[in-house]
Amino acid sequence: MGRDATRKVAGLLNLKDLHTKVVPSLMAGTSKRPLPDALIHLSNSSSDGALELLSLTAQALRFERPSTPDSFLVEPEIKDERGILPDRLRRPLVRLLTAKNTTDHAARALARAFDRLRLRPHPFDLPLIDAFVRLHAEKLGPTAQHWADWQKTDAETQSYFDPELLDENNWSQATLSRRVAYLEQRRRNNPDSARALLESAWPNEEAEARFRLLQALQTGLSTADQAFLSTLEKDRAPRVRTLAAKFLARLGTGGENPALRECLERIKQVQSGLLRKRTSLQLELPANVKDQAAWRWVREAFNEVSLRELATAFQLTEEQLIEAASKDEALLLALAILATNERHLDLLELVVGHLPNAWERMSESGVDTIGLMTDSECQRWTEIVAGPYRKELPTNYHLWNWLHRVTDIVVPASVMSAVLDTELLTKVPERERGSAPWLEIMAALCPAPQRRELRTQLAEFDPALTVAPLALLDILDGMENETAHV
Amino acid sequence: MSLTLERIEALAPDQASLSAARKLLKPSTWPTLAEGEGMVWGECQGSGATPYRVVVSEADAGYKCTCPSRKFPCKHSLALMWMRAEKSASFVSASVPEWVKDWLSRRRGAASAPAKTEEEGEQKPRPSIRRAATPEAEDDDDPKAEQRAAAALERNRLERETSVLAGLEDLDTWLSDQVQQGMANFVAQAAPACRTIAQRLVDAKASGLAGRLDALPTRLFTLPGPARPSTAIRELGQIHLISQAYRRVSELPEQLAADARQIMGWSVTREALLTDPDALRVNAKWRVFAVVSEAQPDRLRRVETWLWRETGADEASRCAVLIDFVPIATGAAVSGYLVGDRIEAELTFYRSTIPLRAQITNLKRGAEPSTEPLSLPGDTLVEAYARYECALAQLPWLGTFPLAFRSARVRRHGEQLFLHDDDGAFSLPLHSSQTSIAFPLASAGQIDGLGLWNGYEFTLAWAETQLGRWLGS
Repeated sequence: MGRDATRKVAGLLNLKDLHTKVVPSLMAGTSKRPLPDALIHLSNSSSDGALELLSLTAQALRFERPSTPDSFLVEPEIKDERGILPDRLRRPLVRLLTAKNTTDHAARALARAFDRLRLRPHPFDLPLIDAFVRLHAEKLGPTAQHWADWQKTDAETQSYFDPELLDENNWSQATLSRRVAYLEQRRRNNPDSARALLESAWPNEEAEARFRLLQALQTGLSTADQAFLSTLEKDRAPRVRTLAAKFLARLGTGGENPALRECLERIKQVQSGLLRKRTSLQLELPANVKDQAAWRWVREAFNEVSLRELATAFQLTEEQLIEAASKDEALLLALAILATNERHLDLLELVVGHLPNAWERMSESGVDTIGLMTDSECQRWTEIVAGPYRKELPTNYHLWNWLHRVTDIVVPASVMSAVLDTELLTKVPERERGSAPWLEIMAALCPAPQRRELRTQLAEFDPALTVAPLALLDILDGMENETAHV
Repeated sequence: MSLTLERIEALAPDQASLSAARKLLKPSTWPTLAEGEGMVWGECQGSGATPYRVVVSEADAGYKCTCPSRKFPCKHSLALMWMRAEKSASFVSASVPEWVKDWLSRRRGAASAPAKTEEEGEQKPRPSIRRAATPEAEDDDDPKAEQRAAAALERNRLERETSVLAGLEDLDTWLSDQVQQGMANFVAQAAPACRTIAQRLVDAKASGLAGRLDALPTRLFTLPGPARPSTAIRELGQIHLISQAYRRVSELPEQLAADARQIMGWSVTREALLTDPDALRVNAKWRVFAVVSEAQPDRLRRVETWLWRETGADEASRCAVLIDFVPIATGAAVSGYLVGDRIEAELTFYRSTIPLRAQITNLKRGAEPSTEPLSLPGDTLVEAYARYECALAQLPWLGTFPLAFRSARVRRHGEQLFLHDDDGAFSLPLHSSQTSIAFPLASAGQIDGLGLWNGYEFTLAWAETQLGRWLGS
């Protein structure tokens, strides 16, 4: 560009002219909106000056500083008192959680460990393990919850705090599952105050929240809850009405439960015995329900009834009911599901005494939750259903997968001992043996004291298959052994 | 299993690989040769700016090299094995560096290459170390041939100069058309319009400018709609500026003239750079603070390794960038260095008003991971930006520029993140690709850091925070 022409133009051009005269012409096109003649200084005869002005404008725009927004968002206050994962575990954690072909067993085990040890992932790693954080945010602490909520258009939670700090003043601001857990915990210590807390929050709750919070009343259910439950018979949500009716039935004060009537229509009562009459019960399945579908039908049919309702209908105690059903596998399954839902583990143990394959049958029936059990209850539940398999543990991956999914805990030491003593991993069918899911699930289910022995057994496998399980064991050991820095 | 020549012969994909490996057996080609925990590793200076990192497991002859070769093992891996097998070079005992550990952890459970069947082996002659070890007859020196070659080179250069100038005439016409029709119209049909003129410039051997035009539509379409026309003004205006500067290259200061020629597409070979007595050479310790990998329209991947100088007091050349181009088809997308690595080396810079691009000319100490914080200057973000403005004044078509700052914050405005200087009330928008990864920094308080400003967005590469170090890649 001719230097003289450039100097002339630059001398005439100021920022205001640039934006009001030159840029609009360049935007619209000089054929429609010619450049101001005063600014055109030809650098040579073959030029119309437009390109020189284009270059000068471009350079002037480059020197304009980026605009600063008028205001910025105020970041929410996050009270996160958990320790941050030690640095040396960060890379292995990210690598494990982002590796291809890993199952969710490792993620479950890690989320549990974060929760139990009151640790949290390093904030800078959250974007790298985004899927894990979103799935298990509640177990990873308030910072992770903030991350998980960040891209939601309607973030439910405005403030982030440790669930350990929940009290009756702030409990309604926590996430739903934390609130359910808090309410359930309060029910154990003081059922009346917990119910009062629920009653005070009730009018503002959504249907899903009402249903899940009401489930917490199962703990410590008593006649003192009757008045509140009676008001729920006209709740807008059918699920809530049904659940309230179920609880009232358990208290012996409810009206007729239609689900119970349908179940009773299919149970045949027979008296047997010469000297001492004994009642035996048989469940008659619908003619069109066969094979695998039968177990699902049982779960669905008995989902809305309670053990007490059923026993009362036959004028039996719950123990007698189980004894009476002892020859009918389908009915036993129904009772096992009910005992599980109602957390009557002593009754479950009685049922499993007659139904040694309860683990398999419950899995096939599609049970996908065992309710609001504490970790110790989950461990006991696992011991009960796995007890009959002690000598010959199942080599079916889906059963273990189901067990881990519904309990979300490590198995009791006795169960893991059986796994290790019988060298279960070597008995798995050839096509599945050593496959990554098998080894990963065992690493995820293994209690800490038995990890060393599991490592010994894993050493027998192709090292390429044990990368993820061993990494998981290393990280879990590291989380437990290292002092986290804050 | 120890490495033997027989084993290496068995592994070599062909005779040519062994022959190529033989040429790399000189220890001087290997700035780093080390061993430890059953592994041997080294760094081999190839044709690129950054040396290739090679590691071999002695136990099972497993190997890994960062070169883009599609032969496995590549000549570098073979050469390292060969030197080890023959003990022709000394390997320093050292602790296993992070990049080797990284490879090991991914590899756990060695898998050696499948053995070839005898039938396969008979189909073609096996590569032989003995044959490769026989040096090829070297060409006799022929002064006349050299003269002919020099004359041919000069003839080609002149032809290219003429061709480029003719191409720039076409470019002027094209630019005038765009100005007449307006930038709003240009944005609407940027892809075909740029493609056409870029092809003409390629034909005119102005490949640098062609590449810039080819990449323009992509850049425009990554921006929000309203920002595109003004960006088009900036980009097309710069292209015209470059074109004019090139035409008057003889009137420009020497360094700026070199810039103009380089951006037009005249490349400087590594050999020419190394033999340039006036080239800037800086001997120092450097830290890798960013690695940027970008696919280009010409099916090459441009891999930039950004270095920060840790020693030396002068403010000039605090940063350097090593640029490698690898075919996209090879799948290689990373630099031989990891962010955080420290090297000690002499770098030779390409001539420029703002020297940034460099080549490693003498690697004194290979890459070592370091957790030490960067020694950043005391500039605030505004002051760092002022340095950019100074540089822009000197080199009007300045591209990506490193900014080192202290005491800034990451703030949110809508979904956009900004690096904000509270005192100077000044903000730079963070690159949109960092919205997610930099989000945790919004709660990290004040940060010191280093990043790359491309004139539109800031890519934060490194930040020292109260929660520890944050890395952008």
